[in-house]
Amino acid sequence: MQRLTLLLSVTCFVLVLETAFVPVRAADAPAPTFESTVRPILKAHCFQCHGVEGEPEGGLDLRLKRLMAKGGESGPAIMPGKSGKSLLLERILSGEMPPEDNTKLTPAQIAVISRWIDAGAKTAGLEPENVEEGVLMTAADRSYWAFQPIRRPKTPATKNAARVRTPIDSFLLSRLEQKGGTFSPDAERRTLLRRAYFDLLGLPPTPEEVDRFLADDRPDAWERLIDDLLSSPHYGERWGRHWLDVAGYADSEGYTNADTERQWAWKYRDYVIRAFNADKPFDQFIQEQLAGDEMVSPPYENLKPEEMDKVIATGFLRMAPDGTGDGGVDQMVARNQVLADTINVVSSSLLGITVGCAQCHEHRYDPIPQEDYYRMRAVFEPGYDWKNWRAPRARLISLYTDADRKQSQAVEVEAKKVDAERLKKQAEYIEQTFERELAKLPEEMRATVRTARDTPVKKRTAEQAALMKKYPSVNVTAGSLYLYDRKAADDLKKRAAEAAKVRATKPKEEFVRALTEIPGKLPKTFLFFRGDHEQPKEEMQPAGLTILTASGALTSHSLPANDEKLPTSGRRLAYARRLTDGKHPLVARVLVNRIWMHHFGHGIVPTPGDLGMLGERPTHPQLLDWLADEFMAGGWSVKHLHQRIMTSTVYRQSSQANSELHKVDPDNRLYGRMPMRRLEAEAIRDAILSASGRLNPKGFGPPIPVMADRVGQFVIGKENLNAGRPGAVIPLKGEEFRRSVYVQVRRSRPLAVLDTFDMPRMDPNCDSRASSTVAPQALMLMNNGFVVSESEALAARVVRDVGDEVENQVRRAWKLIYCRDPNADEQGEATAYLTEQIAQLQSVAPKTKGKQPAGKPAPQLQALASFCQTLLGSNEFLYVE
Amino acid sequence: MSKLNTACCSRRHFVAANALGIGSVALNWLLNQDEAQCAVERPELAPKIFDLKPKPPQEEPQARAMISLWMQGGPSHIDLFDPKPEMAKYDGKTFPGKIKYDNAAQASSTVLASPWRFHKRGECGMELSELLPALGGVADDITLIRSMRTGVNNHGQSIRALNTGRILGGRPSLGSWMTYGLGAETENLPAYVALIDPGQLPVLGVENWSNGWLPSIYQGTVVRPQEPRILNLDAPPQLAGAPQRKSLDYLRRLNQRHLEKHPAQLDLQARIASYELAARMQLNAKEALDLSKESKATQALYGMDEPVTREYGSRCLIARRLVERGVRFVQVFTQNQFWDHHGRIRKSLPTACKKIDKPGAALVADLKARGLLDSTVVHWGGEMGRLPVIQNNAGRDKVGRDHNTHGFSMWLAGGGFKRGCVYGATDDFGHQATENVVNHYDYHATLLHQFGINHSQLLYKRNARDQTLTDGQDGRIVGGILA
Repeated sequence: MQRLTLLLSVTCFVLVLETAFVPVRAADAPAPTFESTVRPILKAHCFQCHGVEGEPEGGLDLRLKRLMAKGGESGPAIMPGKSGKSLLLERILSGEMPPEDNTKLTPAQIAVISRWIDAGAKTAGLEPENVEEGVLMTAADRSYWAFQPIRRPKTPATKNAARVRTPIDSFLLSRLEQKGGTFSPDAERRTLLRRAYFDLLGLPPTPEEVDRFLADDRPDAWERLIDDLLSSPHYGERWGRHWLDVAGYADSEGYTNADTERQWAWKYRDYVIRAFNADKPFDQFIQEQLAGDEMVSPPYENLKPEEMDKVIATGFLRMAPDGTGDGGVDQMVARNQVLADTINVVSSSLLGITVGCAQCHEHRYDPIPQEDYYRMRAVFEPGYDWKNWRAPRARLISLYTDADRKQSQAVEVEAKKVDAERLKKQAEYIEQTFERELAKLPEEMRATVRTARDTPVKKRTAEQAALMKKYPSVNVTAGSLYLYDRKAADDLKKRAAEAAKVRATKPKEEFVRALTEIPGKLPKTFLFFRGDHEQPKEEMQPAGLTILTASGALTSHSLPANDEKLPTSGRRLAYARRLTDGKHPLVARVLVNRIWMHHFGHGIVPTPGDLGMLGERPTHPQLLDWLADEFMAGGWSVKHLHQRIMTSTVYRQSSQANSELHKVDPDNRLYGRMPMRRLEAEAIRDAILSASGRLNPKGFGPPIPVMADRVGQFVIGKENLNAGRPGAVIPLKGEEFRRSVYVQVRRSRPLAVLDTFDMPRMDPNCDSRASSTVAPQALMLMNNGFVVSESEALAARVVRDVGDEVENQVRRAWKLIYCRDPNADEQGEATAYLTEQIAQLQSVAPKTKGKQPAGKPAPQLQALASFCQTLLGSNEFLYVE
Repeated sequence: MSKLNTACCSRRHFVAANALGIGSVALNWLLNQDEAQCAVERPELAPKIFDLKPKPPQEEPQARAMISLWMQGGPSHIDLFDPKPEMAKYDGKTFPGKIKYDNAAQASSTVLASPWRFHKRGECGMELSELLPALGGVADDITLIRSMRTGVNNHGQSIRALNTGRILGGRPSLGSWMTYGLGAETENLPAYVALIDPGQLPVLGVENWSNGWLPSIYQGTVVRPQEPRILNLDAPPQLAGAPQRKSLDYLRRLNQRHLEKHPAQLDLQARIASYELAARMQLNAKEALDLSKESKATQALYGMDEPVTREYGSRCLIARRLVERGVRFVQVFTQNQFWDHHGRIRKSLPTACKKIDKPGAALVADLKARGLLDSTVVHWGGEMGRLPVIQNNAGRDKVGRDHNTHGFSMWLAGGGFKRGCVYGATDDFGHQATENVVNHYDYHATLLHQFGINHSQLLYKRNARDQTLTDGQDGRIVGGILA
């Protein structure tokens, strides 16, 4: 029976979602029930004191209707049918309850409670006998869509089979057809090409690539293109960046104002990029990131490349801000914050549930008791033992092998020889100099001065000390030698350099930023009263979310506390396997939803970080489940999912809105066209560099540094401060033109050109980006140094490519920036603009000629640069159709 | 216009009009769901977008804008603002108490009484140094605080205390907090402007107008002493004027053509509008910085007709023009260590005063004449004062004074501060603030109070904690300086 109700409610739910919301209240609406209307309000505002936490205040427990009717010390809280005589309402209306100003109920909420009491204070079903720990899971909670098992739905029938290329199309088209709509026509091929390039690589196609694709008339040209792009090394840079957002990747520790640099975080960034390029099965990718260290045996020495990768992967758990290596922090607070942020990163990236809300009290909206939070914390606490903490530096793992260490020691022996030689020489020089200086003193003094000088400083008598002060020049030291004998000093410098040169031949010692456990140490995890680490309560054992077992999706939520087969606790490994065993209802949904979002601009669940009650509901729940199942059945291959999505009609549609459909679906939630999207910050910068021809395609390695320029804007550059003010510029030799994913992510120094276009700040991570349209973006495209200099480089490239003919220049620039040829109108207008601009600049050129430094570009080139800049600032460039 | 209206037509409206044939169970679920959804208040889930729109403060504000004349280096309060007649008796003799030195190597304990005379000025009879004759002219309009204290004897740390609330770096500056809390009254100009000196940047460089961990739109925008005056806001020199206008015209045509193909895309329209706003900002900035629009008399008032005051006077006048146009916070900087007179104070202090005195006083008088002083706070002060004893005792011309952050002076005018008021006092040697001490956090609490903000309630969430300017320090509202 229980099973049957559950199924029924799931079916209802799906039906409801497929038809979405009806805001009007029908006159004959059935009586409201406690579970669906009143409980959410009381849960958010009252449960903490009246039910969840310790003894209920005033003896009143509000978690069940029958407990309310029973009441507390003041008597029954409700009188069914009589809101006017219900104590609950009286206390609320008088403003007495809830006691805190910021938790008061709104008039609408009070009205809901009042209506419910007047309608008889009904419940949806029988209330449970016992109120156990913390939160109660209601039937509604258990049947909530996101907690149900993922089942591959049947592909629905459609009228227009011709437009169905994949099952994805069936799901979408059947909905569209119900609304009397259909897909838009396929987009032009050049539009598709640009869309695919930006989607998969974050870069525009070159003019040559455009021509090649347009000339490819094979029937499977599109499929071939997708395969080509998926095998490009730039694919991982694009899709790795998406993952780095949810992982909260940063090259600095954050937390304190010092925002200390993380020297080795980039190895994790590179791991992510490589994983995407290799299409590492995502279940494995997750397991490595959560528990790579447990898949390799400690101590982590002489690692093979694949073992190294696993340890590097745990950098995922080391991305949260960590101020514990900095001074001036309350260590206990800071350490617990690392754990809290890490749990936030894990839950928003993989579970799509705001578990963090349950840190201090039961989750106010989702069925997550506080105990669940600390069970999850117990998974990570052996790695983050807050009572036996390791600061960031102490957690680094050296990649030196035994061979490296041996070689390094051998080199050190050689270097020491050079050192010894230098020290010998130095002593000789000092002696020679001393003798010369001594010779300058009066004959009779020399012997006493020599004795004084040869006596160690501490053993000198007062007279000897005075003598040394009187004749300071005899006090020749290694540090002052250069003042006497420049040649000797230079010789010593040369020898020191030689030693350094020898040492430089040591194998470079690199480190990994990893999360590891100390074998044999298993800290206890306690539930913290109101999240306060100074008020530990009962001990907690590692486990997943209770609701997932209550809903029937999983058979067990507990996890082994200590895997005897492993040197480590095995908790994270067991947890990672639980998440990726193919049955977990959240993980695959969260992942495919996010992949969908990066193709279409918004997810099937529009709140990718929250599939819970507060998040939005999926627009196409069946499609979401089909994708999740397809993803897992396809071996957790992201590339496979790209292929399925991109070969679908929905993806190949034009983005031009059909006006009829637009009226009924202005937000395009039915996918009757391809949405138009603004490029993300990184894609804008990378596309500009690509067009200018200056993009340095080199991959991987330490981040490109960011510094403040002379007015405090953050630009690419190596910091060279002199008393807090910028000194000379240090050339970066082309590194400044690398892709944005390689630019340092220092939390306190967002690169201005990326920041302006909504690059997120990692605090601790970002589950979906904003896309704003504000004047500073326009100003940046009009006036910013980066945009101006890249436009000039682009103009120079155009001249190099096609020479001085204005018409040719227009066509070339057009193709480099828009990836297409201009039509006749556009060509004419552009040529006219360019011609006028040349004349304009020529007319002012003579006046400023005297002032302009040599090498300033000619008006023709300046005009062409301004033309290129205008195109770079235009919507056709900034948006993808 | 009809295109824009579709923005309001959401999915909800659409399905309401199209919902057909839903079973009663589902309908029931739906209705309840809908009611519960609207009944429970939902926290913001979407990424928050910060802006500079004007935001009403919690209380009715006295002040709406602020100009801070920032005197980096530490002007000698005992030679300018805080007369110490007792010290004359000790001149050249040993200081009778304990001194908190910064530079112990060059320290001496020989007292240096102020070489300059003080006079009572204005109807209020405020005693000011002869080095500040112009300020004396507006003595009845200012509040002079003689009991400032940060207690940390280094430039950087004390600047941070006064500018960010704490001595450690990385925090948002005062102007960032103000624009975060209040936005700006104009969308055509930056909300927070830093007017830097043509000389070297002051100590801490660009950190002085940093937004710290607040969103970067709250960073101070630098107005440079040369073209392009505002980076990103001014056109690059080679494109300034007609060439850029031409380019923007062409851009509008390109975007218009593109929009015709995608009429339903609201964001495309918004971006076209954002370029129009940007162009307007550019024009407005140009206009705001154009001092030729000011009368000869006004220019002369600020000392723009004299070489010694021309540069600083121009910047004070620009500050007034910015505030007049709705900018929230303007800080006018002196150059690096302008007031840091460790040596040769007899010569360098008068020189510094000649450059600064007249324009600063003119700003107060001018704002008052235009009816702007009531709503504008003018602040004049640096991060420290100086010690009563000699540093570098190497002859009459060479002597100077070392740092003193335990007691120093600054003045405020307008924005609901008292007129002709002297507040607080230091000991007989001006070393320690002793009476009505005003710590940096008291100053911040009071300042925000004048803007209608409770300093402990202007919050920004970071590291799961609510951050404030005063950062939990017990700032008091200094009632004694409020009108």
